[in-house]
Parts: sequence; C-alpha cells; structure tokens
Amino acid sequence: MTFDHAPFLFGPALLHWVLVFGCFAGIVFSVSVLIALGVYGASGPTAVMGRVWQGLHDFLGISPRRIWAISLLTIKEAVRRKALFVFVVFASLVMFAGWFLESDLRADLQVKNAVSFALTTISWLTLPVVLLLSCWGLPEDIRLRSIHTIVTKPVRRNEIVMGRILGFSIVASLIVSMMGVVGYVWIRRQVPNNAELICRVPVYGELSFLDREGNLTDKGVNTGDIWEFRSYVEGGTRSSAVYKFPMDKVTDNVRFESRFEAFRTHKGRIGQSLLVRYVLVNPTKGLRVPLGSFEVAEFGLNEKDVDRQISFFDEDKNDNRTVDLFDDVVDQNTLTVEVQCLDAGQYLGMARPDMFIRMPDRSFVVGYFKAVVGVLLLSIFLISIGVTSSTFVKGPVSILLTFTVLLVGQGFREFMLKLITGEQKGGGPIESWYRLITHMNDTLQLPDNFGVKLMQSIDNLFMGGLWLVQHLIPDLSYFVMSPYVANGFDVPWSTAMAKCIAMTVGYLVPCLLVGYYSLTLRELEAK
Amino acid sequence: MEKQPVIQIKNLTKIYRDFWGRKKVRALNSLSLEVKKGEVFGLLGPNGSGKTTTMKLLLGLLFPTEGEINVLGKPASDVSKNEWIGYLPEESYLYRFLNAEETLDFYGRLFDMSAQQRKERANQLIEKVGLQNARKRQLKEYSKGMTRRIGLAQALINDPDLVLLDEPTSGLDPLGSRDMKDLIVKLRDEGKSVVMCSHLLADVQDVCDRIAILYAGELKELGSVEDLLKEQHETELLTSKLSPEAVIDIEAVLAKHNAKLLRHGHPTNSLEDLFLKTVQKSQERPGQRYVPTGSEKT
Ligand SMILES: Nc1ncnc2c1ncn2[C@@H]1O[C@H](COP(=O)(O)OP(=O)(O)OP(=O)(O)O)[C@@H](O)[C@H]1O
Ligand SMILES: [Mg+2]
Repeated sequence: MTFDHAPFLFGPALLHWVLVFGCFAGIVFSVSVLIALGVYGASGPTAVMGRVWQGLHDFLGISPRRIWAISLLTIKEAVRRKALFVFVVFASLVMFAGWFLESDLRADLQVKNAVSFALTTISWLTLPVVLLLSCWGLPEDIRLRSIHTIVTKPVRRNEIVMGRILGFSIVASLIVSMMGVVGYVWIRRQVPNNAELICRVPVYGELSFLDREGNLTDKGVNTGDIWEFRSYVEGGTRSSAVYKFPMDKVTDNVRFESRFEAFRTHKGRIGQSLLVRYVLVNPTKGLRVPLGSFEVAEFGLNEKDVDRQISFFDEDKNDNRTVDLFDDVVDQNTLTVEVQCLDAGQYLGMARPDMFIRMPDRSFVVGYFKAVVGVLLLSIFLISIGVTSSTFVKGPVSILLTFTVLLVGQGFREFMLKLITGEQKGGGPIESWYRLITHMNDTLQLPDNFGVKLMQSIDNLFMGGLWLVQHLIPDLSYFVMSPYVANGFDVPWSTAMAKCIAMTVGYLVPCLLVGYYSLTLRELEAK
Repeated sequence: MEKQPVIQIKNLTKIYRDFWGRKKVRALNSLSLEVKKGEVFGLLGPNGSGKTTTMKLLLGLLFPTEGEINVLGKPASDVSKNEWIGYLPEESYLYRFLNAEETLDFYGRLFDMSAQQRKERANQLIEKVGLQNARKRQLKEYSKGMTRRIGLAQALINDPDLVLLDEPTSGLDPLGSRDMKDLIVKLRDEGKSVVMCSHLLADVQDVCDRIAILYAGELKELGSVEDLLKEQHETELLTSKLSPEAVIDIEAVLAKHNAKLLRHGHPTNSLEDLFLKTVQKSQERPGQRYVPTGSEKT
C-alpha cells in the first residue's frame, strides 16, 4: 500500500460535493414533479413545491432538545438491549489473542501484527453491531407502533432521523472508545522489549525528473519493469529525480528518509551498493549544495540527517562554503532536492512516496487513536446509511442494503471506475452500437446530422448518469487507517482524517433529506 | 352561541391500499362531522367500523384518500398542532425498556419542557393515574391496565387542549374506569375538548355530550346523547307505583285526548338500545346514512 494519497482540499471538495448533490437532488426533484404531474395533474407540481417548502420549514425549525430526547432514548434502548456486550466479547478476544499471534517474528513485525490485530478486531466487532442496531431501530419502532406516540407529539420527522443517527453514533463512540483503550493497553503489553511503538510524521513532496541532458520530464527511464510505479534515473549522467518538499517550519535539522530500488545493467563492484547523492537546490539563486554521497540500502531505509548549517565544497567557486538551510536553500517555502545515482550504467528507481522528510515523531497514542477515530467515522457513516434506509425498508432489507454499500465502497468502486472510463472510447453505448453495426471504427468521424446529435446527447446523458452513480459510491477504503499505524506512521490529517470527516458529513446531509422525506411521505403503519 | 369547532372533517374517505397500491379496504366513506370546543365527543361503532382510522387520520398518522381534516384550525399533517394535543393509542405502544418516570420524562422532552417542569408534571401524573408504586419498574413488567394508565399519563403530559382517547377504559378495572370517566369529566370542566371511542356504551352514556355512530365507515347517527335517546314521538311519565285501577283510569284519560298507553313499566331507552337498533337498521338497509338536519350543520 502507499501512504501517500492526494491531500484533501476543502474548496474543490465542496464544489464537487455541491455538483454531485445538486445533480442528484435535481434529478429526484424533476422526477417527482413529473410523477406528480402524471398522477395528480396540474395540482401535482404545486404539491411537490409545497413539500419542498414544508421540508425547508421543518429543517429550520428543528429543536435540539427534541433531537437529544430521541438520541437519549436510542442510547437507552441500545444499552438495555445489551449492545455494549460486544465490548466484553472484544475484551475476552484480546485477552486470549496473545496466544495465537506469533511471537518468534522480527520485533517490528510483531508490533505490526499486534497493532493490526487490535484495530481490525475493533472494526470487525463494531461494524456488525452498528449495522444491526441502526437498521433495526426504526423498523421495530414502526412495527410496534411506538413511533405513533412520538409523531403525535410536536416532533418533526427529520428530528427522528437526526436523533436516531446521533444516538447510535454515541453508542458507537462508547463501544469504540472502550475497545480502543483496552486495545491500547493490550498492544503496550504485547510489544517485545527490543521494539518500540513509533509514529513517524512524513512530509511528502512533488516528484519530477531530469533526463540525462538535464531537461525536465515527468517520468524517468522505463527499465522494462512491468510495474510502472517507479521511474528510474540513469547513473553517472545529469539524470536525476527532483523532489520539491513543502517547508514552512524552521527546525535545527532535517531528516530525509527514502527507499530506492536499484536496477543493474552490470554487476559493478561486488559487495557494494549503488552510490547515491542528494543535491539541495535553490533555483532562484542558482545555488546547488551537494551533500555527501552514500550507499543505498537496497532493501531497507536510507536515513540522512542534514543540519541547518551546511558546509560543502562549492565546485563553481572552488572553495569551501557554509550555507543556511532555511535562509539560503529553501526557496518560497519549498525545499528542492535532486537525487542522483553516481554509478555509471546503473539505474535508481523511485516514486513519489519513496522519499520524505521525517518530522519529529508523534506519540504512538496519537496515531493509534486517530485510527480508532477512523473506525468510529466509518461507523457513523454506516449508521447514517442504515438509519436512512430503515426509513423506507424493513430491518433485514436495510441491513442488506447498508452491507452492500459497505462492500461496494470497500472494493467495488475501482471496478466501476474502470468500467466507466473504459467505455469512453468510441462514444457512449448508443454510439458504440451504431459504430458496431455500421462497421465504423472508433477513429472515423461521424456525419454531422440531427440523428448523430440526438444519439450523442442521449449518450452524454447516459454517461452523466454513470458519472453520478460513480460519484455517489463512497470510497470507504480511506476509513481503514490501521496500515498507517501498523507500519509506524502517523495518520495524516489532510490525506486521511479530513477526507473521512468530509465524506461522513457529505453523506450525512443527503441521508437526512432522504430519511426525512421517506418518513414524511409514508404512513407509519406496519405493512 | 355556536362554539367554535376544534375538529372539522369534511367528506373524509380512507381506502387502505396494499404494497402494490391495490385497494384493500374502504375504512371510511365520505365522513363529515365537527367537534366543538369544550365538549366530550364519543365515536361509537362495531369492531372495524373505522373509529381508530378516524383518530389516526386526525393525527396525521394516516393520509386521507379524499376529503379535508382540520384540527385546531390546522391541517392534520401539520405537526405544530400536536403541541396542544394528547393521544392515547388503542393499545399503549410505549417503550418497554423505560420505567414510568423515564417514559414521562422522555415525552416531556418532546414538548421542550424544562427538567423542573418535567419532574413536577411526571410526579403529578403518576399520582393521578395511580402508579405510585410502580414508578421505577420497566414497562415490560406492567400489566395491561397499568400500561393503559401510563399511556394516559403520557397523553396528558403537555396539559393538552384536545385529548384523543382510543378506547380509554379498555383493560381497566371498574375502579380504573370510574377514575377514567371522572378524569374525562374533569377535563371537560377545565374547558378541554375530548374525543373518545369506546365499545362500553355505559361509559359513553355517562360522559359524552355528543356521539357519532359509525357503521362500516359510514356515519349513521350524530347528535347529543340526550336528543338521540329521547323518542320524539313518545312522552314518558314517571310515577310512583300505580294500582291496576289507576292504570285503567289513566288509559281513559289518554283515550279522551286521542292517545294510547303503549307500555308501562321501567322506562329504559338506553344507549345500548339505540346502538343495537342503529346497527340492526344498517344491516337491513345498507344504503341509509345520517343526514344532517338544520341544527346539525356539518
Ligand atoms: N393498516 C391497515 N391496513 C389495512 N386495513 C386496515 C388497516 N387498519 C385498519 N384497517 C381496516 O379498516 C377498517 C376500520 O378499522 P379500524 O381500526 O378503524 O376499526 P375500529 O372502529 O377502530 O375497530 P375496533 O373497535 O375493533 O377498534 C377495518 O376493516 C380494518 O380491517
Ligand atoms: Mg379501534
């Protein structure tokens, strides 16, 4: 896995959300107007508008006290139904798990196993409970008609949905935090004496390449490796990888960590690794500061510390010089590092996440509990979906539905993406059929007439629909943060936490709307 | 001095549909009636005649197929009217994992009452419905009558202006139903309006000002209890015990005035008679229904 996702940008994300949500709401609205027109005639659309107006009114008039009352009821119900019992299951699982985890592994692997085990167990125990509770609550309330005593009080239907979601979220928080604490204590005891729990904070940069003549390119050399993840720089030439790291804090010392891959075209010196050199560059000042070369650790980690004051031999001036890392080298809050391979005829491979600046470590607790929060966020996400779906279907169906969302969100999304992007060639479905039947290949120009225009606009609509569907499916893999922690990394705020929070909120809003309308438009009779 | 109506129903029809939208039951057929402020209104009818359906429609729990409903001047779908309404469901569907105090506290919160108010009101109501000894017990341990009582307390938590009681006395012991009737009368004395439906005709006769009799979703009788029970074409005399001679004398007097003694004995035209008669008539002549007279504008 890579720990390096694109960072979360609030502005574009919001725009994207508004776009997807707007399309979705627009479609639902137009379809309801059309149906209303068909069923009720001219008064139909007015009625739909009335509903929208009423909805607006109900959302503005919500009362925190009523929502809290329903949350409290939900919590009491869950507690008295002994939902917290799952915590006991967890505690006993964890108590005996030590026997089954291998203890003759390398120390760091033991740590990794223990952390993964604890976090995975927490999510595997929490999610089913959350799924059951949230999908079962409302349908049961409707079946027993206890909901009649609530909706005959001045309770808005959206308050019921909100109260339920809030209540279940609090139950989930209780379960997850208790498990988190027990899990933490257990991990602490599980760690062997010669290992430590670390939480590294990496800062990643942008990667570009210079070819052997020193010209900028996107990609380095392809050495024929089937996996195109890494690009290669050629040794002994001007070819190099250029990392640009964001640098906005001044520190006494900077540590670079990297994992590079060597690709050999000849044996070279037996028993010696490739020689690598970092060159710090300030492009504005034309300053180049070569650091001492080192042998690359081909299957391990290269660590290189750089002090703030750097002494080096300036080849241009033929003199020893001392520069200040932050005053002289860092340019516009960016630190540029060129990575060069010094062995002629050998190649050095790297990708963006292969090199980072390691900031001062955080405490392991911080990283660990961020991952626990990840589980909680996923629970809240599922609760929103579960409660919403349970407003219009019965418990078992609702569970199935929510579970499907979970499955699809975990892996199926990739497949959908390929399907959709794969179809781009040769136009949409109708156009491709047309081309197929008329034996036109997909590079031939279509005639410019009304039929073709019509065909293409229908196709565009269809592709738009697919686009919407694709963007409605959440990517739930972001919520799984245990790999960061298990591998000794902090859970980054921007690329993981912020995304998950945004995703949870982003889905919560439409869920509230759908839940509100389905509770308002249906008779609350058990059918 | 026409009092303003708290409930207005016009041409209300309710058809239950199944999942696929097919018509299943016509539970109410073009029902029109009004309930005035400050009266106790009784809905009567045999099982399945649409009493509960009417109540649920009033509360917006069901949506009318046709017709208009106005409750406290607002459409039935408007939840803000619930601020002044209390509802006792046919069976008490409450949260079984709560105890009496928690139940009342929960419903109090739904009315935005402060903690202090909730506590006071809960104590008062628990006292009123006689559950002092069971206030800390979970509702799942309650007997049927106890559940009814807490259900009633729940309906009165907000000191409502309009109380809808679906078979309030069912499941209550004689003492309980006596209390219930006293309570209803007391509510009326406080100026509240009460709509209740019941099978127990004696109860209805005791407390209701006006009644409506439903049969198969149609309104068959509507009016004040007194008027309905009064036979317009007969006069009733109540005397001390008469000797046979006295009866003959009276017959002679009546003959002089062109009247006839129909029957003598204990004059009992109870609501039960009326009810049975109405139901019987409806069975014999299904098409006939209540036609409003001049005084009963609907
Ligand atoms: N949810 C429902 N779905 C379908 N039909 C229903 C439903 N609820 C009630 N009905 C039907 O509507 C009719 C009226 O029922 P309702 O419950 O209003 O009667 P009721 O007068 O309250 O009877 P009871 O005295 O037994 O309480 C009945 O025929 C009943 O079968
Ligand atoms: Mg009933």
